[in-house]
Amino acid sequence: MSSTTTAVERPLRRLAVASTTTCASQASAYGKCIVATYTDVRKDTCKDDFLKFAKCVQSAVRRLFCRPASILTAI
Amino acid sequence: MLPLRFARRPGRGLASLAPNSVNPYNVFDKSVKRLQKDRAALKNNGETSRTVDYLRDEIADRLLERFEDIKRKFPKVVDVGSGAGHFTRLLQPETVGSVLMLESSEKLLHRDSENAFNVPVQRIHADEEDLLQVVEPNSMDAAVSCLSLQWINDLPGMFVQINRALKPDAPFLGAMFGGETLFELRTALQLAQVDREGGIAPHISPLTDTRDVSNLLGRAGFHLLTVDLDEIQVSYPSMWELMDDLRDMGEGNAVSGRRSFVHRDTLTAASAIYKEMHGNEDGTVPATFQVVFFIGWKQDPNAPKHVDKKSTIPNAL
Repeated sequence: MSSTTTAVERPLRRLAVASTTTCASQASAYGKCIVATYTDVRKDTCKDDFLKFAKCVQSAVRRLFCRPASILTAI
Repeated sequence: MLPLRFARRPGRGLASLAPNSVNPYNVFDKSVKRLQKDRAALKNNGETSRTVDYLRDEIADRLLERFEDIKRKFPKVVDVGSGAGHFTRLLQPETVGSVLMLESSEKLLHRDSENAFNVPVQRIHADEEDLLQVVEPNSMDAAVSCLSLQWINDLPGMFVQINRALKPDAPFLGAMFGGETLFELRTALQLAQVDREGGIAPHISPLTDTRDVSNLLGRAGFHLLTVDLDEIQVSYPSMWELMDDLRDMGEGNAVSGRRSFVHRDTLTAASAIYKEMHGNEDGTVPATFQVVFFIGWKQDPNAPKHVDKKSTIPNAL
């Protein structure tokens, strides 16, 4: 079962796929930044890494969002 | 919006608790919890709820081992917060006469048909914390509770009620989430929220420790206590599947005064932190569930003091 085919039904599901599968490397970079600083974390400690991650997630969600719509019009 | 004249009416002072205010015995929003359980039980005709029974079934099994160590017959048993009857369905007619299932979520209570049970059951839809309104004092031969006490607001009062409902020298066996349950999710959400929003809000319930349980049981009049902590670790593909399953179990966040939403950025950040901080080598993420198991006996004022009751303590440990 491919995760992208089942993933597009709900908005949160799309976010899940985008943040774990599509943008795995950016997620890992952001996570590493937090792990490195978690004893003294404050607002926007890892802002740069998160912005890269969020940008990737946003575009991925948008791509996933388009897919079910095209299926619907085909039906 | 209320017109100002209503807000200023004299005599409303004491009644004007803010909707989100929290008093010490009102930790959880019970109506939200009931809704969550109802929704979970209705989804997909109950199929979704049955798929996520894996955790409850496992704990019910472990609780049954402890129950079976007590070599007695129990004509009447009350299952407090029975859910769909995960524990009750394991009971056998050789030792148990009938079971009273008490559950605050009507849909969850009636999720499974009578055929699922080996013993006659009576299902009562009522708030667990109103136990003594539906059960006669001194009427039960045993009380059990499997994975529901973690949502009780007044736990000391609940134990006292269970104690009153029991006949003298009757056991109370229970299992509840406690200790460090879901600490991975808790820390990931906290770190994500601090980094993204600069603050912290409750996402995981405050949990009971083994020490608290034995103190409370003692205070409620139980004796010969046995309390132990068991740990189950479940692997999930990612934080998202864990949260889906928790919701389908009806175990979503119901802390009073919680926020009604989590910001999308915070969730995204938390999933990355969860994986990086706690992730397994194979790419999955672990979720820890710690379960407090306990057995307590209602004191029997007529029992001679010198009787050695140790022979009746289950040797579960």
